[in-house]
Amino acid sequence: MHIDSVRELKALVLKQHVAPLAVGERKLSALALAAKPVTEVDGTQRTLALGIMPKGKEDYHLAIRIQTRALENSAQVEAIRKQAKGEVDIRYIGRVVKRAPWNQSRQRPLLIGTSIGHFRITAGTLGCFVKMRSNGTPRILSNNHVLADENKGKKGDAIIQPGQFDKGKKGKDTVGSLDKFVRLSASGTNFVDCAIATIKAGIKFDSTKLTGIGTLKGVSASVVDVGTIVHKVGRTTDVTNGRVTAFELDNVVVGYDIGNLRFDNQIEIEGADAGPFSQGGDSGSLIVNDDLLAVALLFAGGDQGGSNGQGLTFANPIAKVFDQLGVDLLS
Amino acid sequence: MQEGTDIEKARAAKATFLSRFAGVAQVNGVGLTRVGAGFGVKVNLADKLEPGAELPEEIDGVPIVVETVGPITKRAV
Repeated sequence: MHIDSVRELKALVLKQHVAPLAVGERKLSALALAAKPVTEVDGTQRTLALGIMPKGKEDYHLAIRIQTRALENSAQVEAIRKQAKGEVDIRYIGRVVKRAPWNQSRQRPLLIGTSIGHFRITAGTLGCFVKMRSNGTPRILSNNHVLADENKGKKGDAIIQPGQFDKGKKGKDTVGSLDKFVRLSASGTNFVDCAIATIKAGIKFDSTKLTGIGTLKGVSASVVDVGTIVHKVGRTTDVTNGRVTAFELDNVVVGYDIGNLRFDNQIEIEGADAGPFSQGGDSGSLIVNDDLLAVALLFAGGDQGGSNGQGLTFANPIAKVFDQLGVDLLS
Repeated sequence: MQEGTDIEKARAAKATFLSRFAGVAQVNGVGLTRVGAGFGVKVNLADKLEPGAELPEEIDGVPIVVETVGPITKRAV
């Protein structure tokens, strides 16, 4: 069929056969929906999707994609086949679902920047892999509020990837267990929000891949200065670029479930592009500089401020995190 | 070109600011930032100051940069 003819046919089929399938409550039974109050039924029903497909050079067919079993071999589909004089490609595709982004999905080997969490929390980000200074065994690094549920977690509690908010389940998605955390203090001054988890035997991990950025090279030896360009890969905003806007920030009060906590010696970062450097779910992300050397651990943020007006992100200097936990970067 | 404030002078101004204004309810973070060729004190506010309330523009010649950043929360989902 000529492209213009198939376009005309597509418009006609849409009007005559597909539009009437957009059901009101009277026709719900025709599409074999499970019985439930009509108010709970999604207004948009899966019926037939229409398109055009090339069939050799300058020849085109109508493409029909059936999205519900109730319409397979139906009178409507047969009528369309007849109307197209056979020049139609009909296939059952069923329900089309939105795919979760890579970092909100299950990833094996485990990757930096993916959804993770204590089995009771929503989800945060897997920051990086570290080794114990005492015996060199590997650990997963993230925030206390991601891996230790704001001090409520117990050593040995399941850590799941992806996190519960991203459909991770204790058991089949358990990748390790809570090992150690620096307690968050509601009365004193905090310097870090960090915790480590063991990695279950048999679970592989990639300790250097910063998906979308490059290969993690190590830890920065220099103190981070204002203007330093930084990057991170996180569970929610994926790869973002930022700029350090302040350091040695004291008296930063951060809202947690357990209350407002005070932090000293923090690093402040703004988004270097149009969006924010981080959003909810990016907690625990490792922040690296342009040389792909680790500089900080992301833990908090707000929605106002920064030169692009998209809010500021706050992070713990990575050396302090490592010293408090007795670990070094595994790379 | 005029030389900027060195970091030690900025740290001293930061300590002075904290001793005088840490009790201001809106102040939510006091740190160091770059101002021109040197350093200044960065002051974050969770909200705008009450009418009539003021913060200094400099302490001992060190510039004070004030920004309203809103409330800060953990970055959980």
